[in-house]
Amino acid sequence: MKSVYWTEWAEGLHLPRQGETALLTARMYQMLPYIMQVTSIVASVKPFLSRYGFAPFVSLGNRLMGDHVIRLKALGAEDIKSKGKNALRGIVSAVSAVGESPAYLYEDEPYSGVLLYDLGLDEFIDEHIKKVYRLLTSHSIAKIICVDPHTTFMLREVFPKYIQEFEIEVHHYLEILSENNEVLRKSCTRAIDQEFAIHDSCYLTRELGVIEQVRRVAESIGITLMEPENTKLDTSCCGGPIEYAFRDLTEKVSRTRIQELSAISRDLVVVCPICLINLSKYEEELGIRVWDVGELLLRALQPGQ
Amino acid sequence: MDMKEHEITEDTLLKEIGKCRACRFCVDACSLYQATEGVESMAPYGRLQILKYLLDGMLEEDDPIVYSVYSCLQCGRCDRMCQAKGQNLEVSQLIRLGKYLLSRGLVKGRKHEKV
Repeated sequence: MKSVYWTEWAEGLHLPRQGETALLTARMYQMLPYIMQVTSIVASVKPFLSRYGFAPFVSLGNRLMGDHVIRLKALGAEDIKSKGKNALRGIVSAVSAVGESPAYLYEDEPYSGVLLYDLGLDEFIDEHIKKVYRLLTSHSIAKIICVDPHTTFMLREVFPKYIQEFEIEVHHYLEILSENNEVLRKSCTRAIDQEFAIHDSCYLTRELGVIEQVRRVAESIGITLMEPENTKLDTSCCGGPIEYAFRDLTEKVSRTRIQELSAISRDLVVVCPICLINLSKYEEELGIRVWDVGELLLRALQPGQ
Repeated sequence: MDMKEHEITEDTLLKEIGKCRACRFCVDACSLYQATEGVESMAPYGRLQILKYLLDGMLEEDDPIVYSVYSCLQCGRCDRMCQAKGQNLEVSQLIRLGKYLLSRGLVKGRKHEKV
């Protein structure tokens, strides 16, 4: 993948490459169109994998053409690509409005390794974490603002277990915005004045304890959040974390959740790119719109975008 | 339970799983148990039992077992329920550590090497 793809969301923002504070996207939002294609392809070939003799052909096909097919199909995923781009730009806009001036590592930016961790692949996660830490310290980063719950969890809870001397401050952007919600409120060009059903992230609530922050931020930009069944610490999973291999199960879990959310509002808001991609697929079927908080921040702070 | 994966042994994991009181409150909290309309092996308690019997040598790995263990969402609802019921077992962490132990076996060239 050409590095320009990971960084094109930041065009025109002139984010510095160096600084003690860095925004870390971990490429999560940028990967969304590709995640969609990969999970779709895996689901298509899965029935053949269990048939004797087919697996080597599937494997060969993947090696020869898999990458090209995924990239080609992802070209058509403009909607999710646009959501991801707007979410990131909204987050940058908001943290800048409350006084942060984070750097961005552009093509040097690493992935957090959360999938390796979830799969229990310790021999790989150890090496990956150390590589990421060396990268961050080589850029003299002392504070990180993460944009997604999984990366925040990895850097705050997992990295210190592997790196004794890990002292980088790790924040989720909602924590920063919530602490400065009055400044955020005054920076809004236009209050959104709309109701949304909130789908809380499992990792953000249960692993990180970041629950009320999104509610304070929402209130600051004029949003009324409606609480669905199973909310805050009791939030239900969107099903996304296992979609790479268990699409059938993911669909059952996500359908149950989307029914809970859409029962109270046509507009839903999420705080995680995995929830965004997993719940957005019901938009056409149910006539709903799934927003990332970042997109709403962009609307509130730069309505012309 | 603040332990890195490579510090976990089969014995330590068995010992932790052994602390489960089998109250089964985690079962109804699990989104996958609900999604599969009550399949026990898709619930946290069921997964812990599977891991226990695998580690004890009473079960052998096969596709349904891999499906059960690896499909855990790691969403933590079971942990919250266990905490609410006063036990505080890190259920999802135990399942994830179970994946680690299984992966070691898988990577060594057993039937599911490419999973």
